[in-house]
Amino acid sequence: MQESIRDKVAIIGTGVTKFGEHWDEDADDMLVDAVYDACSEANVDLRKDIDAVWISTLYDWSGMSGWGAAEPLQWFGKPVTRVENQCASGMDAVRNAAYAVAANRYDIVLACGVEKVLDQGGRGLSQDILYWHPSLTWQSAPAYFAPCAIRAFKEWGWSREDMAKVAVKNHQNGAKHPKAHFRREITIDTVLNAPVISYPLTLFDCCALSEGAAALIVTRPDIAKTLVGDKYATIKAMALAVETQWPFFKPDWNGLSFTATVRAAEDAYWEAGIDNPRKELDFGIVHDCFTITELMTYQDMKLCKPGEGAELARAGVTAIDGEFPINPDGGLKCFGHPVGATGVRMMAELTKQVLGRAEGCQVKDAKMGFAHNLGGPQAIAAVGIVGLPS
Amino acid sequence: MAGILSYGVYVPIWRISRDEIARSVGSASMRGERAVASWDEDSLTMGVEAGLDCLAGVDPTEIDGLYFASVSSPYREKQVSSLIASVLDLRKDVYTSDFAGSLRAGTQAVKAACDGVRAGTMRKVLVIAADARKAMPRSDAEQTYGDGAVALLIGGDDKALATIEGFSTIVDPMPGPWRREEDRYAQVFDVRIDTRFGVLKNVPQAVNRVLGEVGLQASDVSKYAAYGPDARTHAAIAGQLKIDAKTQLQDSMFKDTGITGVAHCLLLLVAALEEAKQGDHIVCTSYGEGSDAFLVKATDRLDRERANHRGTQYVSSKAMLPSYGRFLTYKKEIEVGWPEWERSSVAKYWRDENWLLPLYGMKCNNCGTLQYPVRRICSVCGERDNYENVKLARRGKVFTFTHDYLLGPGNRPADGINAATRVLIALEDGCRIWLEMTDHNAEEVNVDIPVELTFRLLHEKSDFRFYGWKARPPRAGSN
Repeated sequence: MQESIRDKVAIIGTGVTKFGEHWDEDADDMLVDAVYDACSEANVDLRKDIDAVWISTLYDWSGMSGWGAAEPLQWFGKPVTRVENQCASGMDAVRNAAYAVAANRYDIVLACGVEKVLDQGGRGLSQDILYWHPSLTWQSAPAYFAPCAIRAFKEWGWSREDMAKVAVKNHQNGAKHPKAHFRREITIDTVLNAPVISYPLTLFDCCALSEGAAALIVTRPDIAKTLVGDKYATIKAMALAVETQWPFFKPDWNGLSFTATVRAAEDAYWEAGIDNPRKELDFGIVHDCFTITELMTYQDMKLCKPGEGAELARAGVTAIDGEFPINPDGGLKCFGHPVGATGVRMMAELTKQVLGRAEGCQVKDAKMGFAHNLGGPQAIAAVGIVGLPS
Repeated sequence: MAGILSYGVYVPIWRISRDEIARSVGSASMRGERAVASWDEDSLTMGVEAGLDCLAGVDPTEIDGLYFASVSSPYREKQVSSLIASVLDLRKDVYTSDFAGSLRAGTQAVKAACDGVRAGTMRKVLVIAADARKAMPRSDAEQTYGDGAVALLIGGDDKALATIEGFSTIVDPMPGPWRREEDRYAQVFDVRIDTRFGVLKNVPQAVNRVLGEVGLQASDVSKYAAYGPDARTHAAIAGQLKIDAKTQLQDSMFKDTGITGVAHCLLLLVAALEEAKQGDHIVCTSYGEGSDAFLVKATDRLDRERANHRGTQYVSSKAMLPSYGRFLTYKKEIEVGWPEWERSSVAKYWRDENWLLPLYGMKCNNCGTLQYPVRRICSVCGERDNYENVKLARRGKVFTFTHDYLLGPGNRPADGINAATRVLIALEDGCRIWLEMTDHNAEEVNVDIPVELTFRLLHEKSDFRFYGWKARPPRAGSN
């Protein structure tokens, strides 16, 4: 019999570096900053109080295993697990850390993520990887999603302007966030007139390459109270779904829904006991790696019916002062996407929002919200729900 | 006796005008245009395309031999014919051999095929001749060369569209052209020696011998499909043979394709066959350290067979390269873009031959879904190890697409200029396949446009050439 971990795990500390181009810092340096900030907020000592660590990172350290956190923190003799699950890596590190706490195996654990991508050179995420099949057509990350936009244009009459509205909204929000990579408002024309990255997506339909680190301190609510009083949030759900690495070869693929998100959302809503997310939740942070992804995610997260995603953006429903704010932090559009760090940062944002600590981009009366990652070729989705303890 | 059962042609879509070459390098234009293999084509891929055209309507399992002839094989060591045999889905016990070293390699492969058929050791032999020769920038060869391929299916004469009546050879170790192990381009000492004492001497010798064998006069022959290294030498052959250049000498295609190496005289033979009537005699003659000449006679099957093959429609199906710079890029004389990521898995490529080269998909025996690539578990119903290998259709329509500026053609790092168009195709048999597109104009790509599959170089990494299937707009009278 499956059991929910709802309200069994508390988040008591968050640490997030500024996201951006950290040419003068190593991944180790960023991770140290994020982890010590999280420990400080949680009133815990990294060496005395932390029992186990989950570290998420996609690039750079394959084969580096638990050293990814143990070496930079000089933290030895205890369990460290490296997590990699494409763009959902960070959220998956939190998920596994949460389960360890919910099982009472450890008292206080650290979930953290970091990514250093610019050292590889070139543009876009590196493709120098042998696990891809040599003869199955490759594509860049935006080219996983651009074909979906083409289908949405055809089936639903969506347009490049609809996608541009997402970018404009997220840049409005991110301009106010102190940790964001990009803090500049843009216009519809900025998006439409930008160079094409993967048709029909332009530069401003895409999130940037960015670097950063994020960390969370996770424990049981009874311990949380002794450390931070009532200044903690609880995890309502953590869900993950893995779909095919080769969606374009699926005989029934239509490009109009990301089934990984649909499955993860169903599981998360079950765990959190939510029937109507648009009414019962207050806001969401979605994986806007590309603007088309955000529009489709409105639908896959059951905030509206298939085909209505663009209308939510047009009508301002998802603006920070709208009925259901999405990406009040500015999203990946403003933070970029250091793959290992992103999911951890999103969980930190949820925590700050429900604790009323979201400086510059606080959603009014935010009590419970969701975060969503979608990784690889529309393939690996994670959904986390965080709220005030009930 | 042996005969030609079927023929196929392939000429790349790209042409460059010789005026553009001449203007760019400051030389004199030889007029007309030449065919140019794209960056993802070589003698192997063009050979596959010609083979596919030739085998339209032919059962590949009846083929006992495959000969590949080229002086521009992509590999110094590695047999091309064995790889082509896999792509064309020939039997595993097919006899394969590569012919090389001389521009006579194509006609020599024809001779070997005829001998095998006559000796009774092979029933049907596919001969593929293809060349995409590299020419030194600014050299005359840059203008005279062209890229293309021809395939002839040789078998018994009872079902031939043309019977092969005779074959003769003259050997003469002339100095040029030659290309040493370390040479990128072929060189010649002085073309006047090779023209005067080689082509114009050896070709008539070989032709007269074969005509003498069968008791025909030069005037009895309808067409001479004769190799000439350039337009002027080609015209001079008519004088040496004392034939009427206007009516008896098959047009050299110099102005259309350029001289396509080992394939060229066979290309002219196909062009002559396309126009021939039953009973017509055609002489095909090559040159290179001597000359081969063979005589064919058209049969009543020719008319019926023509409709099955695209043949020289590939010559008229064309698009112009925008610049000499693009030509140099396609010929790899200049490198563009960021440095390559270097690795790709040779082992995976070898393991998955069955679905990569002959293009088999899997049809689940439980739910009946046709899918690609082949995997042990059905992607729809989860059935394990229970499927049939099914050959996939090579035509379909675009379901969706993108022009990817971040990962360029051939999986090259982005240069921000050259997008890779990638298309999701609904094949005619219902299978979905996601492929890179080639030979296209990006502005004409859209949902629902028809495409056909073409065999190309995918990328070159790990010092290995990875070939596979791509999509292109339908060409050359496809139907």
